[in-house]
Amino acid sequence: MSENEKINLLLVDDEVKFLQAITYRLKLKFFEITSATNGKEAIDAAGKGRFDVAVIDLQMPGIDGVQVLESLKKSHEYLEVIILTGHATIETALACVKLGAFTVLEKSCNIDILVQAIKDASETGLIKKSNRNEIRMEKIQALPLDQPSMGKLKKLARWIKPKNKAL
Amino acid sequence: MNDELNYMNTENLKFFGKVNASISHELKNILAIISETAGFLNDLAELAKQGKELKLSLLESCSNSIVEEIQRGFTTIRQMNRFSHSVDVPVMEVDLMETLELMAGLSGFLSFASHVRIENKDKDIKTISTCPFLLQHLIYQILCFAYESAGPTGEIRLHLSTENDKGILLSFFSSTQMPVERFPDEKIKNISDTLGVEFQTNHSFYELNILIPYTCEKIQGLNYERK
Repeated sequence: MSENEKINLLLVDDEVKFLQAITYRLKLKFFEITSATNGKEAIDAAGKGRFDVAVIDLQMPGIDGVQVLESLKKSHEYLEVIILTGHATIETALACVKLGAFTVLEKSCNIDILVQAIKDASETGLIKKSNRNEIRMEKIQALPLDQPSMGKLKKLARWIKPKNKAL
Repeated sequence: MNDELNYMNTENLKFFGKVNASISHELKNILAIISETAGFLNDLAELAKQGKELKLSLLESCSNSIVEEIQRGFTTIRQMNRFSHSVDVPVMEVDLMETLELMAGLSGFLSFASHVRIENKDKDIKTISTCPFLLQHLIYQILCFAYESAGPTGEIRLHLSTENDKGILLSFFSSTQMPVERFPDEKIKNISDTLGVEFQTNHSFYELNILIPYTCEKIQGLNYERK
């Protein structure tokens, strides 16, 4: 990966030293990193920044990893989430994937496996975004040319408005 | 009676399992930090081989972090060892201060644990004759009860006083209001009954008090069968 292809990463873990060490290591792999030490900080950071992938610890005080996953998937459509857990069980992994996690990895897995998962997750997010843009474009192209301009605009607005938001 | 006994055995086993699971989680966290820090040192070594400048401050910070985590690991293993041996003897002379420190440490591994501060550590507190494992279970459950309302940002103060002739008064002070109407719950009540622990009626939203007898009459003479 070159410096020009930086992936924006949100790292969340309440173990500050772990967070620090993994941040150092991933920075060497050219990721652009923002870190958070609890669930609330993570949700706030995601609201302010544009992230491609979030790597979240499962067990945290207060808002835990599952709650952060739910919140991020609800409000950031193209943000892919990787769950890192100290004690992964098949049940936990399935529950997280069901809630929209890209994958669940054990702490501390080989850094190359984590890096590959981040790249794959970022690519998946991009593909989703691109697919949605294509669908929008197809709809725009399908607009009848004889329709009045205001009608076209209204149709466009319906297609592109974000979920649960009034225009 | 059998139902009661089965219930207590199940609850005690659950407690033993829960504490061990939290210890394993703590140890895994420690190893994860050591693993990532060692990995980072490797990354730095690779970069140095390629001619990149090596920052001594980073090396120092990494080695310090590894040393600290190893110490944290030793402390955790010591706590695990003491806890595991608490089931060796059913009744013995117990140092209450040591038990409080152990339970504050072990319950601190829970994600919702508050900060625990033990007061009057220097005070000469007599030992008590009781079941060490059940006493640990009781203190752990009351701490968990207090953590539920105080949360990770709250503080629980533990205070011992020996003014009462019958036993030692242990007070739990919380920085936030506790749901005292739910105290003691069934689990806490059952363990307390076995240990002869009395609940003081002067509970408030911020304070829980229990009286631990110097000698637990109910379980004296109890001994495991030895082959």
